[in-house]
Amino acid sequence: MRSILSMFSKSPFKPLASHMDKVRACVEQIKPLFDALENRDYDSVQKISELIVKLEHEADMIKDDIRTHMRQSMFLPVDKKDFMHLLSAQDDIADAVEDLAVLLRIKNLDTPEEIKPSLHELVNHVVDTAHMGCDLISELEALLEASFGGAEAEKVEKATQKLGTAEWEADRKQFKLAQGLFKLGNDLGPADLLLWNEVIKKLGAVADKTEQIGKTLRIFLSQ
Amino acid sequence: MDLDTFLLLFAVIACIYMACNIGANDVANAMGTSVGSKALTFKQAIMIAAVAEFIGAFFVGGHVSDTIRKGMLDPTIFEAVPYHLVYGMISALIAAALWLHIASYLGWPVSTTHSIVGGVVGFGVIAGGMDVINWGKMGQVVLSWIVSPVMGGVVAYLVFKFISTKVFSKRTPMVYAKNLLPYMVFWVFVILSNAMVYKGLKNLHLNLSFNHALVISLVVGSLAFAVTKFLVKKIPYNSSWDLQKQFHETENIFKYLQILTAFYVAFAHGSNDVANAVGPLAAVVGILKDGHVHMKVIMPTWILALGGGFIVFGLLIWGAKVMKTVGENITELTPSRGFAATFAAATVVLICSKMGLPISTTHTLVGSVIGVGMARGLPTLNLAIIKMIMISWVSTIPFTAIISMLCYKTFLMFLP
Repeated sequence: MRSILSMFSKSPFKPLASHMDKVRACVEQIKPLFDALENRDYDSVQKISELIVKLEHEADMIKDDIRTHMRQSMFLPVDKKDFMHLLSAQDDIADAVEDLAVLLRIKNLDTPEEIKPSLHELVNHVVDTAHMGCDLISELEALLEASFGGAEAEKVEKATQKLGTAEWEADRKQFKLAQGLFKLGNDLGPADLLLWNEVIKKLGAVADKTEQIGKTLRIFLSQ
Repeated sequence: MDLDTFLLLFAVIACIYMACNIGANDVANAMGTSVGSKALTFKQAIMIAAVAEFIGAFFVGGHVSDTIRKGMLDPTIFEAVPYHLVYGMISALIAAALWLHIASYLGWPVSTTHSIVGGVVGFGVIAGGMDVINWGKMGQVVLSWIVSPVMGGVVAYLVFKFISTKVFSKRTPMVYAKNLLPYMVFWVFVILSNAMVYKGLKNLHLNLSFNHALVISLVVGSLAFAVTKFLVKKIPYNSSWDLQKQFHETENIFKYLQILTAFYVAFAHGSNDVANAVGPLAAVVGILKDGHVHMKVIMPTWILALGGGFIVFGLLIWGAKVMKTVGENITELTPSRGFAATFAAATVVLICSKMGLPISTTHTLVGSVIGVGMARGLPTLNLAIIKMIMISWVSTIPFTAIISMLCYKTFLMFLP
């Protein structure tokens, strides 16, 4: 059955939201991962890390599916390039979490007592920021319903601003943690220092990539 | 069996075949958006379509029809050989019905009017050469490929933008939807009843002037307004609901409007397209009665009933299957979007056909859907399908013309 009603093809916004659900599931593993690390429960670190890799793979499958179904002839209420940007931003979050999981599995890493408070702070903040990004995506359906305008658009606009502030905050916390880390000097072996530095960078990347979601959504609104 | 009885029987069968195809071909297009948005179940849609198509065809479908639909050629060229016009009409019916049959099988939304126009052009060219065709009228038909979708698109864009700014942009969309609903119902009823009573309902021998018709439709509209105003109060609303919940409930309000417009579009389709099946039969009957060719034919009531009845029959036997697939496949359409598209299409068709502009229901609906998409109302549209649709529109007239030529030639070979 084709007829004019085949003009309505499957909405790519629904798979986009299910992709984000997988990303959220990845993000939700960050806290347990660091908790296990702190408790030197390396078996759990291994298990959680494997779970994250699996979730990231599932997200990838959805992403590839969206990409293959995104045909040139599809007409979206937003620029197709921007839509793909949004998808990439979401996927980058999952990638960053996966990188984090892999880094923490390279060796049985100790958490120095001195950096624990600021590490906690950064981890909690990054996870909260990523959740804000996920919540934005779940607003997409309502945003479509409102044709990207009106009260719903204002609500999303405000949320993206908050997200921007949260990312800026994450940068500050990341800097503070890095300072704390390098203050340890020779108390920390070079391997640990190198790894911890990478871990901090990846944590920051999760927040960075989340901010990209807000930026792209603002482009949707401004069209 | 003498020749006259044979020809009459043949014409009736061709008309029935055509009517069945009209019912099957367009019902999915007319009702599909309602089923897709879950405003109606597929069984309800079939029921509404059946009732509305029949009412539209029987009560509003032309009482007096031009012998040749859209004046494509001058029927007086057949004055010396009136039976040749009978053969021609039957050929045109067969060609158009065959094309519609193929088109609905392939899922091409072609115009029934253009199919019959092609059929007429086909036998006309054989009977009198290229010069007898009114190429100006032909130009109008070609123009309607552009006019219908553009009109549908513009009106749907405006209707949807209106709904979007007046309801979905608000902080409390439900409150605004409840306030707006009676006014929308008013307009739907005014336009619908005006189309019914002005130049319609000829079978009831009501001949109302435009002013009279306007008064009647305003009264009907006001009644509908009052009833809706009363009913709207019963819709539950809680100001603590968040936007998402309110959007959901607002869509439920639009479901009622969509059911109304589904009726409206099926009605418009029935009234507009029944003439394609019954017009040629009426012409045949007229010639067989007194042996003369007339410019206009009086439509016997039994023929209209036959046409309306078999449109419904075609809808039930073939259309139902098509509809079911539609309902399962479109899930991305919400009632507010479906309403905007169908309301715009039906309004454009009714107003334009009253103004005598050649316009096609399906072509208009295609434009309306794109119009809603342009207003950022749809999550996605598949534009590849548009190319296929355009090809099917352009190929309608050549195809039916050639089939009609072949049929007509066959008639002339075997009959006097």
